[in-house]
Parts: sequence; structure tokens; C-alpha cells
Amino acid sequence: MGIKLNIYLKIIGVIVVLGVLSLYFFLDPTKIAIFPRCPFYSLTGIYCPGCGSQRAAHQFLHGHFIEGFKHNFLIGLLALVLGYQLFVFVMNTFYNKQVYNLLHSSKVTFGILIIIILFWILRNINAFPFTILAP
Amino acid sequence: MENKPSRPNSYLALAIISTVLCCLPTGIVSIIYATKVNSHYEDGNYAEAERASKNAKTWGIVSIVGGVLVWVLSVILFGAAFLAAVESGY
Repeated sequence: MGIKLNIYLKIIGVIVVLGVLSLYFFLDPTKIAIFPRCPFYSLTGIYCPGCGSQRAAHQFLHGHFIEGFKHNFLIGLLALVLGYQLFVFVMNTFYNKQVYNLLHSSKVTFGILIIIILFWILRNINAFPFTILAP
Repeated sequence: MENKPSRPNSYLALAIISTVLCCLPTGIVSIIYATKVNSHYEDGNYAEAERASKNAKTWGIVSIVGGVLVWVLSVILFGAAFLAAVESGY
């Protein structure tokens, strides 16, 4: 019973993810306003570190990677971290290696925190080099 | 070095996903706790690390759930309005 339920949940999960991705593929968030605007931006008028990720998702799904990154550079960081986690996981489980996970070092985690907070502050500065970071 | 407890999960990936993909700054709180997990663990404060791990998980889940709720509400509300507009010929 438990296994069967698990499979159903996975199938539902896959359908939901595909549905959401196709929404972002077919509908451009800059033109059709059915996606939520960032609540933080709506309340404060300040961009948050995640602002622009929906527009970026739309561009990515159309293969426009550079356009996508322009909306939110942090997606690059996210891809890097997830890719690295996957790499360490594959190495340690399938190849029996003992790769040390750099993400377990407090310096690396602290660095990521600093990058995100710096990105947050800089993208809100309304002057030339920083406007590139704005969504 | 003897009987070192295993490293608690820092939920760093969850924290970054919630920060970047939802627009909720609660993801930042989760990253701060993720950092604390590692630094406490390196200092040997295993109980503190364990507590920070729980907090990182809680804040990560709070921001993901909050983000998903806002998203679903928005898509249902504005989606209905959008469909109505399409139906009436705009």
C-alpha cells in the first residue's frame, strides 16, 4: 500500500511540475499578469534576491540563457550549488569516492550568504553598473 | 575527535532554492541558519548545530510553502480573470 501511494504521489508531482513549466513556457510573465508579483517588492518597492526569477524561467525554457541570467544572476549560483551537490552525491554513492563536500565548510556557506546579501543590496542601487543586476 | 556525532544537514540547497525561486526573504534567514550549522559543527557545538539545522529546515519550508501559496492564489485569481478576458474577446 505504502509503495503504491508513493508512486501515485510521484506521478502527481511530475504532472504538477510539467504543468507549471508549461505555464512558464507559454505565458510571458512580462505580458500576462497571472503570476504573482514579488510580495516583498509590492510592499516595500525594494527588489528582493529572488525578483526576476519568473521572467528568467520563461527565458530559460525558451533556450535564451543569457536573457534569463540578466533577470536574475543568482540562478547561476543556484545551478552551481545544485550541480555541485549532485556531483558529490554521485561520486560518493556510485563511485565509492570520499569527496569532501565544500558546502560543509562554514567559510563556503558564509561566502554564499555574503554573495546573496551583496547582490540584494547592489541590485537596488539605481546607478549604471548596478542596474545590470536589477531584474 | 572520538565519538563525533554525524554532521546535521544544513539544508543549504533548500535555503538557496527558497531565496531565489520564491520572493520571500525568509529564505535568507534559512541561509543564516545553514551557515550556523556548519560553524557550530566545526567548533564542536554539536547540540547548537543540531538546533540550527532544525531552524534552517523550518525557515526553508516556511518560505517554500509561503511562496507556493502566494503562487497558487495568484494563478487561480488572475488566471480566472485572464480566461474571462479571453472569452469576451480581448
